[in-house]
Amino acid sequence: MRMIIDSRLPSMTRSRLISTLCLLAGCLVASPLLQAQNTDWTPLNLAMTDAVVIPAYERFAAATAPLARNAAGFCAAIDADSLAALQQDFSAAYDGWQGVQHIQFGPITWFNWNFRLQFWPDDKGTGARQLDALLATADPAVLVPEAFAQQSVGVQGFPALERLLFSDDSLVALQNEPYRCQTVQAISRNLDDIASGVAQRWRDEFRTTVANADERGFFESAEDATIDYLKAVVESVRRIQQQKVQPVLGDNQAAARERRAEAWRMDRSVQHMRTNVAALAALFNDSAPALSSVLQPADLPNIQQAFATLQQHLADAPDSMNTAITTAEGYAAFKQVDADLDALFELLEAGVKGTDLYLGFNSLDGD
Amino acid sequence: MKTHVDRRQFLALSALLLGPAGRVLAVGDAAATPLLLTAASTRADEHFLVGFRHDGAAFHQVFKLPLPERGHHVAVQAERGFFVSIARRPGTTLVLAELATGNLIREIRAPADRHFYGHGVFSADGEWFYTTENAFEDSSDASGRLVAWRVSGAGSDATLERVHDWPSYGVGPHELLLMPEGNTLAIANGGIRTHPSHDRDILNLDTMQPSLTYIDRRDGKLLEQQGLPAEFHQCSIRHLDVSANGTVVLGMQFEGEAFMTVPLVATHKRGENLQLLLAPPELQPQLNQYVGAIRFAADGRHFAATCPRGNQFTVWDSETGTVVHALRARDNCGVIASDKGFVYSTGMGTVAELDLQSGSISEFDGAEQLDLLWDNHLCSGVPA
Repeated sequence: MRMIIDSRLPSMTRSRLISTLCLLAGCLVASPLLQAQNTDWTPLNLAMTDAVVIPAYERFAAATAPLARNAAGFCAAIDADSLAALQQDFSAAYDGWQGVQHIQFGPITWFNWNFRLQFWPDDKGTGARQLDALLATADPAVLVPEAFAQQSVGVQGFPALERLLFSDDSLVALQNEPYRCQTVQAISRNLDDIASGVAQRWRDEFRTTVANADERGFFESAEDATIDYLKAVVESVRRIQQQKVQPVLGDNQAAARERRAEAWRMDRSVQHMRTNVAALAALFNDSAPALSSVLQPADLPNIQQAFATLQQHLADAPDSMNTAITTAEGYAAFKQVDADLDALFELLEAGVKGTDLYLGFNSLDGD
Repeated sequence: MKTHVDRRQFLALSALLLGPAGRVLAVGDAAATPLLLTAASTRADEHFLVGFRHDGAAFHQVFKLPLPERGHHVAVQAERGFFVSIARRPGTTLVLAELATGNLIREIRAPADRHFYGHGVFSADGEWFYTTENAFEDSSDASGRLVAWRVSGAGSDATLERVHDWPSYGVGPHELLLMPEGNTLAIANGGIRTHPSHDRDILNLDTMQPSLTYIDRRDGKLLEQQGLPAEFHQCSIRHLDVSANGTVVLGMQFEGEAFMTVPLVATHKRGENLQLLLAPPELQPQLNQYVGAIRFAADGRHFAATCPRGNQFTVWDSETGTVVHALRARDNCGVIASDKGFVYSTGMGTVAELDLQSGSISEFDGAEQLDLLWDNHLCSGVPA
């Protein structure tokens, strides 16, 4: 048998090819099974796309729009109230991003959008250095959208804007430095441009790519696409643990460092993780069919329980990670979250091992 | 929905359905096709060295040799009828086995303060074998080593004797190959310092200095060395290939910030500067800063660079420095020239052939059913 899939031209899908072979050979018993298997991936991918992914991106874009709009009028009269209002808009927009941060495939990978939205972790303080350099130039030309999109990623996204809006001296600095305030406007507009751009590309382009994943093109197959959704859940659990929890906790409480948290200036790192985990659970469960259906049914109760436990412990944890890690009780609460994330990851990983899906081998720790 | 079950049923059914007629025909064809070798692992972390043939449509396993640790590349000495599977870093085993059967001849261990980097190469006359090694207790720039082994015996008597131990003139040497004139080794000094006690962690991210280094294989003398511009010093040069006319191509892995656009492929001719190549702007970011293997096509002009992290298989023209073909291939890494274009393998278990003329891809039947994850490299089992 020879399976030929043309990499440039639309061609027979695998499912069609397999069905054809079966018909030729008269294996009618087999064909419904085969078709079921081979046609299940696309409805699943589209269900996740339509019920979970695109709505989440639309919520993100809907949250960045007020930020951009209100930032546009912000610099005329800055006071404590107007700054607090803009901080609220910023928090909502950042929450919107947290709801899609786990999706690391599709349009978000285009145009460096993911890094432009959030260059983090930033262990070397690159973002701060780049932002200081930008402010020092006070060059209005680089703030116009086309030019701003070409600036260093460290000045374009959420961490830079958080720094401008949530530093101890933000109010005074913004009142006294017009260029600093114009930078707030530029970043806010940039965030909205990107958020609406990603949402639109998912709606108008990438949904079609997902729908046609079996016509070998961007994806090798519909199953190949499903693996990207699955990776978005499984690998994000590990990423939250390794980037958002463990670096803050350190080896022991004495080694805990609030500034390693994702959003320590605004102290919303915990809210972010709650949003992250809710988004992962939604991608896993909230479509019909759901992503969870690719795992063995026997593995699901433990996984669902692990999701619930993690979400409960995150809900119970103190809202302020900055202060919590200074107390034994608060530190212990996040050690528990660390353990919960670990448990969930192990269960998901074991669950994936019970399927024919494989998330990667050469790509994981190559050489 | 239990897709895994359905899929296994499909595989079993298709084997029954297509087995007899297809297989008789295929074996006849496959016997004449070149033997290919590759390391592989299972999801349970068992490691093998697999020899196989293909007829353009089906995969035919010739042997499956268990390995004591994860393999990487294989060097073949066809005249003496054996091959050497070199352990992936930080592995310490060379496995010698008979080429025809895959039967184990012997295992040879690295000295206690050394590990291999997964690559080795024979001299054209088959009298010498060369490995890249890490002298990991040496914190100087001489930790990268090139070791020359004298080859003796043949078939089940084949063995290697460790004779010369030279610097590779860099840290973290990885792939090495023999230049067409036969006396020069080209070595990819990846620049990355690691120590087995720190797993595979990079210990010198800020100071790494990768290089392409040419060394006289007869005396270990440095002949030429090409570094990268300072802004790209975190592009670890890992893999290379050479064409009959002496053009070397390099595959790199970037260890710096994820958002940066950096070259992952370069070409070189002795005595000239490195030519750093970028894919078109819509493709370059999709490569995820990582090339896993690089091999020339039979025409000596085009070459493939596999990108397992970006799930992209790219084909480049070494004369124009441009990408001529790119296709999605999840977790693809191993690659080797074939009559039609390239055969490539993936960590998902597939082995496929890309026809460069038509652009079509044939996935070989029988590969995925083995439930093996194909490791980094595909290697030829016949003389070059």
